[in-house]
Amino acid sequence: MNDLATPIRDDAWIPSSCALCYGSCSILAHRVDGVVVKVEGNPQSVVGKGRLCGKGAGGIMTHYDPNRLKTPLRRTNPKKGLDEDPRWKEITWDDALEEIAARLRRIRAEDSRKLVMQRTTTVTASRLPMQTFAAAFGTPNLSTAGGGLHCGNGAHLLSGIMHASWSVVPDFEYCNYAIYFGASKGHGAGHASASNMGLAAEARARGMKLVVVDPMCNFASAKASEWVPLRVGTDGALALAMCNTMANELGIYDAAYLQAKTNAPYLIGPDKLYVRDPASGKPLVWDKAAGAARPYTDARPADTALEGELEANGVRCQPAFQKLKDHLRRFSPEWGEAISTVPATTIRRLAREFAREARIGSTIVVEGVTLPYRPVAAIAFRGAQGHKNSVYNFLAIELLNQLVGAADVVGSCLGFNPACGGFPETGRPRYVPSAGPDGLMTVGMWMGYHYPYPIAEPRMPRNLGLQDLFAMGMTSPFLDSDDREQMWSRFELGYRPEMMLNFGANLLMSIANRETVARSLAAYEFMVSIDLFETETTRFADIVLPDCSYLQTLDSRSNFPFIFSLPAGMGEWCWPIRQPVLAPEGGQRRFQDVLLELAERIGMRADLNAAYNASMNLAPEFRLQGERRYTFEEICDAELKSNFGPGRGLDWFKEHGLVKWPKRPEEVYWRPFVDVRVPVYWEFMVPLAEKIDALTAPRGLKLPREYYEPLPDFLPCASHDCKAPGFDLTAFYYRDSIHTNSFTMENPWLDEAARLDPFSYTIAINADTATKKGLADGALVRVETESGRSVEGRVRLTQAIHPEGLGIAACAGHWGDGMPVAKGKGVFFNGLLDLDWEHVSPVNLNLDLCARVRVTPVEARR
Amino acid sequence: MRRGMVIDLRRCTGCYGCQISCKAEHGTPPGVLFARVLKREEGRYPSMRLLFLPVLCNHCAEPPCVEACPTGASFKWEDGIVDIDQDKCVGCRSCMMACPYANRYLNDSPQNYFEQGATPFEAARTARHQTDVVMKCNFCRDRVRAGKPPACVANCPTAARTFGDLDDPASEVSRLIQERGGFPLHPEAGTRPSVFYLPP
Repeated sequence: MNDLATPIRDDAWIPSSCALCYGSCSILAHRVDGVVVKVEGNPQSVVGKGRLCGKGAGGIMTHYDPNRLKTPLRRTNPKKGLDEDPRWKEITWDDALEEIAARLRRIRAEDSRKLVMQRTTTVTASRLPMQTFAAAFGTPNLSTAGGGLHCGNGAHLLSGIMHASWSVVPDFEYCNYAIYFGASKGHGAGHASASNMGLAAEARARGMKLVVVDPMCNFASAKASEWVPLRVGTDGALALAMCNTMANELGIYDAAYLQAKTNAPYLIGPDKLYVRDPASGKPLVWDKAAGAARPYTDARPADTALEGELEANGVRCQPAFQKLKDHLRRFSPEWGEAISTVPATTIRRLAREFAREARIGSTIVVEGVTLPYRPVAAIAFRGAQGHKNSVYNFLAIELLNQLVGAADVVGSCLGFNPACGGFPETGRPRYVPSAGPDGLMTVGMWMGYHYPYPIAEPRMPRNLGLQDLFAMGMTSPFLDSDDREQMWSRFELGYRPEMMLNFGANLLMSIANRETVARSLAAYEFMVSIDLFETETTRFADIVLPDCSYLQTLDSRSNFPFIFSLPAGMGEWCWPIRQPVLAPEGGQRRFQDVLLELAERIGMRADLNAAYNASMNLAPEFRLQGERRYTFEEICDAELKSNFGPGRGLDWFKEHGLVKWPKRPEEVYWRPFVDVRVPVYWEFMVPLAEKIDALTAPRGLKLPREYYEPLPDFLPCASHDCKAPGFDLTAFYYRDSIHTNSFTMENPWLDEAARLDPFSYTIAINADTATKKGLADGALVRVETESGRSVEGRVRLTQAIHPEGLGIAACAGHWGDGMPVAKGKGVFFNGLLDLDWEHVSPVNLNLDLCARVRVTPVEARR
Repeated sequence: MRRGMVIDLRRCTGCYGCQISCKAEHGTPPGVLFARVLKREEGRYPSMRLLFLPVLCNHCAEPPCVEACPTGASFKWEDGIVDIDQDKCVGCRSCMMACPYANRYLNDSPQNYFEQGATPFEAARTARHQTDVVMKCNFCRDRVRAGKPPACVANCPTAARTFGDLDDPASEVSRLIQERGGFPLHPEAGTRPSVFYLPP
């Protein structure tokens, strides 16, 4: 009304969400006169609880980085390669989108599977728009950079099958004894990172004993009551020896839990399969009260036999638990010592402590509800399962929990929020695990790929990643591997990838050695990269689209699903959003809008609307209609109203930032209330292997059956079997708490911290080992694998590492000019990794992340 | 009143949240770290431990930096906070040599983190600092006077930091020092630090 009025001073604290890692902590961004001058944690939120790690506190410097992309770019150099300059020219958004849309239209008409959708793990909220677009377009080829290949295929698959969640964590509030195997939950990284740091610190202050099994003493091990160093990649052997000690030497296990909540009483015949009821097909158990075999649904759990030699259906059989116990006998602590270097006396002591602290049979009252109390947890993540033996390593560790009933009860190993009754006013979002085939648990909520159980029927592949053939495979190496063409031809895949649509992933760095991945990138006829920076990977694109940062964008579910990164345990449910604090600069556009615009231009608006209705599980009255055009704001508004009622749409959330409500004990400690079982004996592996082998063997690929046995074994990595002279160390990656993937290396505050850190940018080597090799602290060395891959870096002599280990942090070693702060910093560990069938788990396709290496000094350079 | 801080080394998990949230609060230029995190090894493999040790100005009750300052730029407030009057500082570094803890910085390094010049954030925040003067932590005196804890205390994800009045025996900081055996770094320097540590 008054044109001459002086502008009101802009001074606002805006609730939103961090995106410096996938933890997605809730933030308050302080904007003064159009400039964000501070980002703090939002104390109203459960996600981060008002406090931020170094990465989150430093997000401003990522946002304001002058090296960010601001204009769409078109490649003019048709050649693609590590040394090729793309010779960018700036183009308009309209030209860029039309060229991309034309390509997409043609591919969709020919064979929509030729499109590969690739995204980073860093931005959790990118999952939904990317998956929804892929579903609408009709491509099953969706990949998450290095994510699952590295940290996740074992951890996520097993957490899904055993805990109905994406990952596991101790119930910090009640746990008294946690043992970690190559995991960092609560120590500066990972799911619910900042929240868990607080919970872990409270647990330490309370006196929880934390044992950390890890080749290196940093982060979790540094905070441990006891650090147990071991030979790289032998965690599974240690866990199996502990299980043996508990089940056979001590005879301590939670029989009531095993009878009611696992398949331990199911009868197993000589063919390793369930003995089934002829009428119903259900697995049989031995009912001690009836003195007869009965379907598992018909016997009282307490009456079922866990041990013994029995006969049912005319065959000799044993309960699965008897099979497990007998199987474990081969893993003596002395055997475990020989493999892991952990003394047998230590293995026995740890097993004894874990079993005793489990307090089998005890209960506790939480908020008026009497619940089982098992205050112990065995927790594994990337370090333990980033190996060829991924599945068994994780299963062996998980069996520690299962033996004592420490699964989703008070104080135990918890999945991240597998059961949610929903917001009280709407009952949404609601999900609970349920019983699938043979009474085994199916998740109520999941992140992507296939459900972990039931396992799909293997088939001749239609996916580039071959996850439909290797039916327990998740993130796949075969999008980029050296042998991908061989595998595709062998399995008669009827198409080849033609176009990649990448959101933020720097897969040249995040998967394996760069030469292999560069070959796969160069083979795409057309690649689009939506990114914040001109990364090494983006330099392979034909068109680059400048994205908005987390301070410029909108997400209706910045931290959903709750199974991913909401703190587990009692407390509150919390649904925050991310909202724009600043406007885009130059030509930056939000990727969510770009995907909507592309859908519009290729004429798949109706398909996308339908896909959003499904992926957001929108209530009928909020579903997107027909071909109507929606903005991303409207879609977010629909999801929020669908879950939280018409009064809590996007406007309400922009003002309040989040909604929260109390968790109930029956949700957090759901296991006693939900009639599902989990498998301590993986019977399904036997027919699965037969079905896969029936497809692969005639085509020249013999499935290594030892990986598909129903009970876990320790199967060594290539690094354990290497006998080549001079190759006497095992290099391994570990997560640095100051960095997220390769992304944050460009942040100058984080770089400054990492340069001062003794380990972030160096190669950690045991001081005695180094001295024997004549290496002094700071010496420049070449680290080489037997296959000739090598990286260089400076050694850091330390007492904090196993004498045979070589620790390299994070996803460092950028070489491109598009991220100048990051360039040349740290060591590119993934450069040591081969990427092919021989180096992945033949079950879940997890890449083997340890490399046997030789370390030699690099002559001083002139 | 004597303002002081207690840092619980059992809680600290070395996330650098203090170091970086301090940079965000104060917009300090490159190389100037009012709060830092050191990593120290003790013992020999396998009986060793790695210690995360966050450090900052100790706001000593008997500050040698104040003693050493020829211009009166370094001084102590009545609440015990040791501070620097940028207008009086001539950048002679006498205080830096006197500080036994190396927690003072001469602001003569580049003022911006990126080659391209100041970001909007740096233009708004870093430009407030004078160059060629000495800088250090002042316990976030502006925040404290507004009734808020220092930024590193408010932000610490493990709640390792507690801020309060060391002269008040009933304060949380006094209680923690008493009950948990709080100790300062390098007491032999005789400066009576106001930052105490609780054992890991």
